[in-house]
Amino acid sequence: MNLTAESQKSVDAYLAILRRRLSDLKEDDVRDIVEEIRTHILDKTSADPSPGRVDAALAALGSPQQLALRYHTDELVQRARLTRSPALLLRTTLRWAALSLGGMLVFMLSGIGYCVGGIFFVMALLKAFFPRQAGLNITRDANTWSAGFGAGSGPHTGHDPIGLWLIPICLVLGGGILFVTFRLGIWSLRWFARPRRHTPDLIAIDE
Amino acid sequence: MNNPTPPPDGAEKWEIQLRKGSLELAILAALWEGPLYGLEILRNLESGSDLVVVEGTVYPLLTRLRGLSLVASEWVESDSGHPRKYYRLTDSGRQRVLAMARIWSRFSASMSSLLAPLSQENPRHQQPGRQPLTMEKP
Repeated sequence: MNLTAESQKSVDAYLAILRRRLSDLKEDDVRDIVEEIRTHILDKTSADPSPGRVDAALAALGSPQQLALRYHTDELVQRARLTRSPALLLRTTLRWAALSLGGMLVFMLSGIGYCVGGIFFVMALLKAFFPRQAGLNITRDANTWSAGFGAGSGPHTGHDPIGLWLIPICLVLGGGILFVTFRLGIWSLRWFARPRRHTPDLIAIDE
Repeated sequence: MNNPTPPPDGAEKWEIQLRKGSLELAILAALWEGPLYGLEILRNLESGSDLVVVEGTVYPLLTRLRGLSLVASEWVESDSGHPRKYYRLTDSGRQRVLAMARIWSRFSASMSSLLAPLSQENPRHQQPGRQPLTMEKP
């Protein structure tokens, strides 16, 4: 069965967009997906390859963007479930955030967790290289106490009760927060990608 | 009868979610008899069930089921002039669909029992002090 030139052009344009939108996936998977969709269209229009029928077949699949999003999100989630890469995890969570409120919440919590964990690491570094400028700074005036934590341009004028102990404390706290944040992301995605309950949500994103 | 009826759009949304939630089971069940390619699965679902399937949802779902090792796929040459990708249940897929079918049957039976009073549309059948069930929320 041969499509008309016009129909072939429509199919090629559809598949080109689909292929482009799936470019983050593995090349073999993309080729497999695109070929399967192509054969679906050919089978669907085998009895009547007119342009109208081809357009109807394409419309029944949804837009290539929608179709790619369904593949892409699912594939990313599957990969992220097994990943040890925080970058992939965060990227997947970002995509999930675009789909649901739950995803947005996890993304925000992950972002906050990574930032706070990172701040502790930065503090440990600053304390190591600028021990007099960074750390706790407790000052006592006549009637008031004040406490600060951070790094300044000049030496602290107050008392630093922790001193260089700040470095291991910050490393442990920062590492702990990063670890918990990472595990939270993994756990959330596993929950999201559980076989029975989440496919409908994934499918429902654009209907 | 003075029963409140749910707004049609609410009921329709619930029905859509229910159908979507059943899609995975329906696809696995369609493959029980043997390997099928995507369009065959779609036609099988349309003819063998009341599911109104959006075509673009089936292929990503099949890919996901393959990722979970519940189905396996292979390209097979066909008389139509192009190869087709056939899906078949794996052993774990067969076990999964059997387990899902058991859950479905149990759930369906218990829901049928719960919903039985609704089939008695005549209000005279209502027992005193017992209100008929409504389906405002799934």
